[in-house]
Formats: sequence, structure tokens, C-alpha cells
Amino acid sequence: MLLGLTVVWTVMIWNLTFAHLYKGDSHEVQTAKDPGREQPKPVEGKAAFQKQILDSEKTVKLYLGYQVLEQKQLLGHFHIVDIQLKPDTRNYCISCHGDIPHDKFKDLRAFGNMHASFIACQTCHIRLEGDQATHIFKWYDRATGQIVPSPVKDGALPGTYNAKIIPFERVDGALQRIDSQARIDFAAEYRKQEQSLSEVQKSKAKKIIHQQVSKQPYMCESCHVQQGSLLPFEELGYSKQRIDAFVGTEVIGMIKNYTQFYLPHILEPGIGSHEPEKKVQ
Amino acid sequence: MEKQFTIKIKNGRKYFYRFSLNQRFQHIFLFSTVITLVLTGMPLKFYDTRWAKPLYAIFGGINYTPVVHKVAGVLLLMLFVYHIGYLIYNFTVDEVKPLKAAGRLNLPSLLQAIMRQPMMPQWRDAKEILQLMKYLFFLTPERVAGDKYTWKEKFDYWAPFWGIVIIGSSGLIRWQKELFSHLFSGELINYAVIAHGDEALLAALFLFIWHFYNVHLSTMVFPMGTVFLTGYLSEEMMIHEHYGQYVEVMKQAGLEREIQPLPGSGDQHRARGPETAAPVGY
Amino acid sequence: MAMRVKNRTLKRLGAFAIWLALVLVAHSQAYASDVGNCLLCHKYPGLSRIDENGKYRLLYVSEETFNRSIHAKVQCEGCHTDIKKIPHDPAKKVDCLTQCHIIEPTSEQKFSHKGVEEFLEHSVHGRYDKNGNLKKFAEDLPTCKDCHDNPMFRPLSFFKRVRPGISDAALGRCRVCHSKDEFIYRFYNHVTTRLHTTRNPKNIAEVCARCHDNSELIARHGLSFKAVATYTETFHGKSAEYLSERVPDCLNCHVKKGQSPHQMLSYKDPQSSTYKDNKLAVCLTEECHPSAGAKLADYNPHPNFDRKQNPRQFYFTAFFILLTGGTLLPLMLVMFLDLLRTMFPHASLLRKK
Repeated sequence: MLLGLTVVWTVMIWNLTFAHLYKGDSHEVQTAKDPGREQPKPVEGKAAFQKQILDSEKTVKLYLGYQVLEQKQLLGHFHIVDIQLKPDTRNYCISCHGDIPHDKFKDLRAFGNMHASFIACQTCHIRLEGDQATHIFKWYDRATGQIVPSPVKDGALPGTYNAKIIPFERVDGALQRIDSQARIDFAAEYRKQEQSLSEVQKSKAKKIIHQQVSKQPYMCESCHVQQGSLLPFEELGYSKQRIDAFVGTEVIGMIKNYTQFYLPHILEPGIGSHEPEKKVQ
Repeated sequence: MEKQFTIKIKNGRKYFYRFSLNQRFQHIFLFSTVITLVLTGMPLKFYDTRWAKPLYAIFGGINYTPVVHKVAGVLLLMLFVYHIGYLIYNFTVDEVKPLKAAGRLNLPSLLQAIMRQPMMPQWRDAKEILQLMKYLFFLTPERVAGDKYTWKEKFDYWAPFWGIVIIGSSGLIRWQKELFSHLFSGELINYAVIAHGDEALLAALFLFIWHFYNVHLSTMVFPMGTVFLTGYLSEEMMIHEHYGQYVEVMKQAGLEREIQPLPGSGDQHRARGPETAAPVGY
Repeated sequence: MAMRVKNRTLKRLGAFAIWLALVLVAHSQAYASDVGNCLLCHKYPGLSRIDENGKYRLLYVSEETFNRSIHAKVQCEGCHTDIKKIPHDPAKKVDCLTQCHIIEPTSEQKFSHKGVEEFLEHSVHGRYDKNGNLKKFAEDLPTCKDCHDNPMFRPLSFFKRVRPGISDAALGRCRVCHSKDEFIYRFYNHVTTRLHTTRNPKNIAEVCARCHDNSELIARHGLSFKAVATYTETFHGKSAEYLSERVPDCLNCHVKKGQSPHQMLSYKDPQSSTYKDNKLAVCLTEECHPSAGAKLADYNPHPNFDRKQNPRQFYFTAFFILLTGGTLLPLMLVMFLDLLRTMFPHASLLRKK
């Protein structure tokens, strides 16, 4: 054991001493011989991935003296981003589509993504009809995936809950989460084996994964209505005040503006100026 | 002064007197200040490591840790001055006065006396190292018969000695930069920063690896040698490290018959290690 | 300003946090500048999209944090001038030099950052050279948002002793004459934040490092070393790393006294604070080393471990590296062999001779 320790020490001493001479550990940069002449090379491939994806955001600390403010730093972003939602570990849709998936309709994409931060995809994109419809929705924790009591409390800032709403379906008479473990496993297995599948197998798997997905998702007015909202706001823990805001004139008026003036074709996707973009795997 | 026994026998084991109370006190003072200095200084050198910031916070963060560091540094320098005084005093009592009494006090005799001092590097140290190399490269089974102070100990002594001179002076320059900037170029501070940190790294690594290995981790002494507390060294360690002195002291004490052989030299069947140290008959 | 920040006990910190929270909750309604009810949607952290270039567009605004920022009083429409109705089209880029709805009290004119533009154009970071020609790679040179995000208030309390944060007692004294708490809170923050730096030294160095530690940019603009990395090798930089507020950051030396960072000049410019003849005055600043001698100016605050730029310091360092490695590595070898030897105490290659 001591022999090993000696070797470790030797390596450490080497790193602390001669390694500096070897690496030329200077803060010098390869100064161009003719500074100002060299054209910046466009970044491509792996380096571009590093720059555009990996380095594009990081968490920094602002030292205010009386407080240390943890901030998500997006270069060139002006407003302080003081909150970071925990990643959703349960949702299997986002493993392909990402957590900010909406970009088809210019006027809806940000709203869609905003709602997606506290509503699971299946809530809007699957229409449970007839026997299947249970009208039961619950919150699950983004980090653990477990069903949790309503995080909506007085004082909690809207949309910062670290929990999402998920619908329940009835299978053989029993209530069950729509994102059942079986479906999660199926999708995970597809991701794992994707490389080795034949084209036919791939198409089959995708079809099965998206089997429940409805062509026409629930839209704004499915929930933002005075009567007969899809989501049972009260059961989900919202206060009377918040519910009134959801179905109040401000929100509903805005939605009316959208549907009547901005997006007359919203219910007929693929028609009009909004060509659906190619689906990205 | 406590009463010194050259050899003390306790529970049937022989213990050999090595360090006086004064020396042990100096050593404890030395390592307390040095450990404090390393703990309060290294986080600055390695500010970007994970351990640096919590460690620095223990001593009070950027507002207080430098104060702790400076206090410990001043204490260490005071010890250094005391030690120099101690050396001069001992040298005067042991060497200068007898020379004076004999009427032979002149420069050559003084220089000779200095060279005779136990911590001065001598020819036999080189020989010891050569012998050690032979032993380590399996060229001989015979261990080095170390004298009172082996080359290792002289190394352990002179390394911090040189270290204190370098680190102490550069530390003072960094501390009193305003004063020094009246006398020397400001670049001196740059050099002081380099020297202070890099020499401290050498000293810290040297002490915490080499010295700790010799007095704590080496299979012979694990977990800790006690001579720095008691002043006495066990017989097996005495044989292992200072065989030359061991034989001499045993002879002086009239214990020639009980002198153990140097491992590897004669009796090959005798197992080394702690068993050797259980002399029968006491 | 030498700010003496001392470690406060957790208890006091906790009490302060509760107090601050109370103040914020109590007053957040009062000074919200959200007249247009933009936060109806923009309060949601999920309000975001990925744009056509794959860039993440976060449209979230934290009301609580915004209200503690220097722009708390400015309405959304003050900067986002193209937004006239809800729902709105994708917003245009904000022009920081626009006139906003704030009235600057001394001139009683509408406020604008217009003056900054001129300062910046004449500084080392300006995009035009002295002859009015566009500099090479002018697109690399910073504009507002390259250095600034929304600056947060960093209030100080001077009540009994100086510490970061707001003094409850001082606010109480303000209320003697001023009845509007929103005004008191903002005015207090504004003044005390301006009495020191808006960012602490570490955060300032981080901003400069975005360009001045970027090897690509350094090479392209003919600079010689990483400015912040070399600063961090000094006690100044290390203390900043340990969050000291008392050490000089980039701006303390590089900005001339009485000017703002927008007016920084190259060290080659005789007008600049870092020009070789002006350096000493920076070191001798009252808060720094007033008793130092003239030779302190020779100190290199950006020591670069480089053979060509700093040969003497390079070889000096190399000496210690060689000394350290040269001493310790052989000793490691001895240790290793010693351990090996202990395993075979009696073995010897020459024994059979």
C-alpha cells in the first residue's frame, strides 16, 4: 500500500514541478506573428458543439455582500436568471424532444414551452376519451418522478414548482399514471437499441411509442374557460384567486386575440403561413 | 535540566537518549508553527482546488487567515533567532571556551570546531548514502550503520533551515512591501512571491512526505515514532538507524555483551523487526 | 472605498434575510414597474424557446430580483419600446441608449445612457481608431451587454459600522421626512450601491476574463497574455478569488481616478492610468500603498510565466521547480526502494560471491 502511495506522491510531485516546465504553463497565447491579420476560423463539428452547446450556459455566482445570488449565465442576456428548475427525470418524451420542444407556431411556442415546464406532455397531447377518461390529474416531482402533494401554495412563485401535472388513465378498471413504467421502459429500450434496429423496426417502435398521441392536442381554451376546464384546478391545489386569474378576462382575452387575429388556422395545423418544421429526432 | 540517562531500561527494553528537553521543545514549536503556516498558506497557492476554500474559511477567510499566517510566521522567525542563539551559546560553551582555556583560539581551530559540529555534513554522510544505495539496489544485504545524526536527519535539519531563510525573508518582503519598495525595485516583490510560494511547496512536500514517511509511515515506526516526545529512542530503531552510535553507547555503558548484530551482516536467521527488540533476561 | 466587510454571525444574517424578505414582500406590489402586466406571462421561468439559430431565448423575468436591481423603477416598455400591445410579436433587441421614461432629477430631462457611447468610443474599447477608421476586428469589441447584465443593488449599511446590506435603523431615519417607502428603499439602495463597486472584485474579473482570458481574442488583437489568469497569480487576484472586497480589481488600476470604466485607455496612451509614468500614482492611492516608495511601480501585477516575456522571473521560477523536483523525486526513489527492500530484507545480488 505504501508503495502505491509513494508512486502517487511521485506523480503528484512531478505534476507540481517539472510538468509545469513541460507544458510551458504560461498564460501566454500563441500570439499571431502578424496580429490582426489572421481571420477567425469558423468553428465546426465537435468544437462548435463545445462552444454552442456545452459552453453556452453556466451557473455563476453574484456576490452581493449580503447575499450570494446563484445565476444561470446566458451570455448577452440582460435579466438576471435567478431560478433553475431541476431536470425532469421521469418524462420520457423529452429524452428525444427536449424540454423546450415547442417551435412550430411562432406565437404559441414560448407559451407552449412555459406550460411544458409544469405540465407533462401527455396532459395536452393525449386525448383520453370515453372509458379511458378519468379526469384525474396529479402532480409528480421532477427529480424523483413520484406523485407528490400539490406544490401550489400561497407565496410559491408561479411556474417554479419543480413538479409537473400528469393525467391518469384507466387500464382494466385500475387507475394508473399515463407515463407507466412499462411505457418508460419501452421508450428507453428503443433509445438503447436504436442503432442496431432495421428501418422497419424503427418505424414500428416509433409508431407504438406515439400510439396514444392525439393529432390535435388540447389547446388554450380547453383549460382557460369559465366552465368545464379539462384540468381540475381546485383538485390540483390552486387557490380561488389563481383559478380566477386563469379564467379571467386578461388571459381569456389574450387567447381570443390569438385565435381570432393571429392564428385563425391554429386548429388546422399545416395550413397557412405556418409550415410545420421538419421533425428533428 | 532533567536528569539524562544515556540508556534507560523500562519493562526490559533499552531506550537510548537522543534529544534534550530544549531540543524537543524547539521541535514541537517548529512543527506547530510550520503546520499552521502550511494550512493558512497553501490554500492561497492552490486557490482553485476544492479543498482550498473550506480550509481557508476555517481560519477565518480572507480577512483573518493572513493574520494567522503572519503571527505564525513571526513566531517561527523568533524560534529561528532563538535557535541561532542556542547554537552560538552551545558552541561557545563546548568549543570556544575550552579552546580559549587551552590558548589555541584562532581561526583554523575555530573552523575545525565548526566542522566538528554534529549537524555539519561530513564525508561519512556521503559514504552512508553510497552504502544505502548499495543496500537499496540489492547489492549488499548490509544496512547502513548510522552515526548519531544520519544523513537523513541532517537533510531534515538543513532543508527547513534553508527554507526558513528563504521563506522568512521573502515573507517579510511581501508583508513590508512598502518599506522594501523604498530600497529595492518593485520586481523584488514578484520574486518574493515566487520564492515564498515555491519554496514553501518544497518544504511542505518535503516535511509531509519525506519526513512523515521516516517518522510516521515507514513500517518500522508506524504509526508514530515517540522520540520527539520522550527524547528516547528504542533499541530496535537505534540499531536500524544509528548502529554506529548504538555500538559506541553500549560500549560506554559497559554492555558490550548485549550488543545486537547489525541486520544483514552476520546472523542471517535473525528476524528483523520488533521481535528483535525483546531482549531476554531483563 | 475601502469597505470593511466582516464576518457576521449566522444569526444576524438570518435575521437580515427575514427582514429583507419581509420588506420585499411588503413592498413588491408598491414599486413594481410592471404597468403593462407583462409579468402575467413573463413571470414563468419556463417561458422560453429555442430560436432558429439554436439559441436559447429565455423570456422569463424574475420580479423579485428585478426589483432589487438598478433598473427596478424602469418600466418594461421603457427599454422594450417596440412592445405596444399584448400579445406581441417577437421583441426587438433593446437599444441601451434609448431615452427611457425616467426623469433624471438634476437635469429634469428624460434619462438616457447616450453619454456612455461617446465615452466608450474614445476608450481603448472604442470601435474606431484616432483617425476615425474602423479598427480591425471591431466586431470583437464590447458593447453594453458584453459586460453588463442587469446590475443588482449592493447596499451598504453605515450604521455603527460598515457592513453589506441595508440598515433597518437608517431606513427608520429616512421615514422621518419621507413617507413613500418605495422611494426610501430605492434611494437608499441607489446611493449606497454607488458608494462602492456594483460588482465585487471576483465578479469584475470574471467579466473582463470573458475576452481578456480568451486565447483566440488575445491572439487576434495582439495582446500578450491572459490578463485575469495572471492577475489571479498575485495576492490581489487570489484575495479576490477569496471574495475580499478590499483588494484592487481590474478597474481600480485600469480606470483613471474620477472616470468610469467606459473611459479606459491603453497602457501605451500617456493619458492612461497604467501608462508607465502614471502607474506609481495608482499604487500610492490612499486606500492601497500610500507609504510605498517610487520603486514599487516596477512591480509586475500580471506576472506571466513565460520565457520570452519575463525571462528573469521565468528562470527564477524554473530554479525553484528544479530544486523542488530535483530534491523530492530522488527522495521518492529512495523511499520506494526502501519499501521494496523491506520486503526482502536479506536478499542481495552479490551475496553468493
